Amino acid sequence: MKQVKPALPARRPALRRYLYNNWQLYVMLLVPFAYFLLFKYVPMFGNILAFRRFRPLTGPFGVRWEGFRYFEQFLSQGDFWRAFFNTLTLAALNLVINFPVPIIFAVMLNELRSLRFKKLVQTVSYMPRFVSTVVVVSILSELLSPSSGALNRLIQGITGQPAVFYMNEAAYFRPLYILTDMWQYMGWSAIIYLAAITGISADLFEAARIDGAGRFQLIWYVTIPSIMPTIMIMFILRVGHLLSVGFEKILLMYTPSNSMVSDVIDTYVYRMSIAATAPQYSYATAIGLFSGIVGLVLVSSANLLARRLTGESIY
Amino acid sequence: MNRSTRIKEKSPVLDALIWLVMLLVLLACIVPFLYIIAMSFSSSRAILNNRVSLWPVGFNTEAYRQVFAYPNFFRAYRNTLFYTGFGTLIALTMMVIFAYPLSKSRLKGQPIVMKMVVFSMFFGGGLVPNYLLLTSLRLTGTVFAMLLPFAINQFNLIILINFIKTIPDELEEAARIDGLNYFGILVRIILPLLTAAIATVGLYTAVFFWNDWFYSLIYLKSDQYPVMLLLRNIVNGTTMVGEAGGVGENASVAIAIKSAVIITSTLPIILLYPFLQKYFVKGMLVGAVKG
Repeated sequence: MKQVKPALPARRPALRRYLYNNWQLYVMLLVPFAYFLLFKYVPMFGNILAFRRFRPLTGPFGVRWEGFRYFEQFLSQGDFWRAFFNTLTLAALNLVINFPVPIIFAVMLNELRSLRFKKLVQTVSYMPRFVSTVVVVSILSELLSPSSGALNRLIQGITGQPAVFYMNEAAYFRPLYILTDMWQYMGWSAIIYLAAITGISADLFEAARIDGAGRFQLIWYVTIPSIMPTIMIMFILRVGHLLSVGFEKILLMYTPSNSMVSDVIDTYVYRMSIAATAPQYSYATAIGLFSGIVGLVLVSSANLLARRLTGESIY
Repeated sequence: MNRSTRIKEKSPVLDALIWLVMLLVLLACIVPFLYIIAMSFSSSRAILNNRVSLWPVGFNTEAYRQVFAYPNFFRAYRNTLFYTGFGTLIALTMMVIFAYPLSKSRLKGQPIVMKMVVFSMFFGGGLVPNYLLLTSLRLTGTVFAMLLPFAINQFNLIILINFIKTIPDELEEAARIDGLNYFGILVRIILPLLTAAIATVGLYTAVFFWNDWFYSLIYLKSDQYPVMLLLRNIVNGTTMVGEAGGVGENASVAIAIKSAVIITSTLPIILLYPFLQKYFVKGMLVGAVKG
């Protein structure tokens, strides 16, 4: 965390001229940069609370060094490990299923002959991205309600089986999480791939067609390889944010009876700190820092790997 | 690129299959909303007897009347409008005056500030440090806890920076020669050319504020709650509206009311969205090309 001073110490006349020409830009930078430091870097620095004892009303940085005490504490907690593996499982399942789906969707959209229909599907499929998680989960719980929900009525009508309280059953939590994610983000995530497909040179397709390629072969040997760099970058970004699963949605879907699968790191941190009657701020910060560092390691290694393999990276 | 030259081979089976999948996607996106609309306009008896599917049964506006008669609903709606309006305004001001100097790569110190911005996208203070910062600043329980901390979003900032970089330097140089200083350039030259970008970033920010419920929950007092948090409280049973609650007929009233709140709180986005779609998409594409 290096602090950058807007102006360097004056040494040469060239520098004075530089400052004379540019001081307004630095003045402009001053307020938003201070603001940025306050709301992004002070909390980042606030992570030292993970090593310090918290006392109410004495500020966010704690009062006494405690070393790795809080880390040892959570590492020996079964609840933490449950949350950790729940996070990994949910994130990995979500990645495996919801990463390829937008790519397939984009390729299929591109194969549509009717431009008007394509436009309609695009417009409608982007919309769920702008709906609040509360609304998504509310609609979900209405559709799945055991007493009045459409799904239960449909299934009962066909098979006559008793109603299932899907939102409350641990077994349905992960599928529901993944399905709603697909519903919300499939269209939106496809935008970037659609743009990449549009950018492919028509000559490539023409050449492949002259060589006798069919439509499937065009997709497989031209479209997919051409958008591979984009796929790679999106993959890095996704892996980097692997641990930050949809906290808000999970919190809304969380019930005591599905907690064995729905309690993830973020909800655990929340339950131990802000939502707790006796908040353990240092303990929760230690967990937050731990998952932040794991995330950082993930994104840098994914980036490194991508650079080695494809020459594509994000920084 | 010409479509007609791209797809020459006829494979009707493939075409039909793609049509079918796309149709399913279309329905999957629309049907849930139709269902909720139908519920919100149906009579509680019809809901109780499970007769409602995609069209209102026993059409009535009772649920909406009860929602509108509930005083907290309007307060929550007003709060949402307030946070969305002022939150977006503050965010745009901050980000534009941040983005303009940052768009100048020649500026000494710019690279390191950019690196700090990018780094903070991947690592930051978690939930607790952010919460404790706001408590220490005595912002919790005030509307500023909602308006201030989210003003600078790194992704949106990068969108703005990339947009500004596309403005030709010659324009600025000409203005400099005419004696305009950088503040004047920002206001008179850059801002007018930036309307599309500001629309894009403003929309993202507005959607964030409109949809938020979690930060409102942890930072605000109950009379400051926005409509999404009200909806969440209705859904999880913390808040009762009108004659809702209990079992049987009243439980059905609750479903209709819940649906009415979902619709009234989401309607602005659904109605405005088709007209603003191009701005959203533009931002997604510019933001993805990192500067």
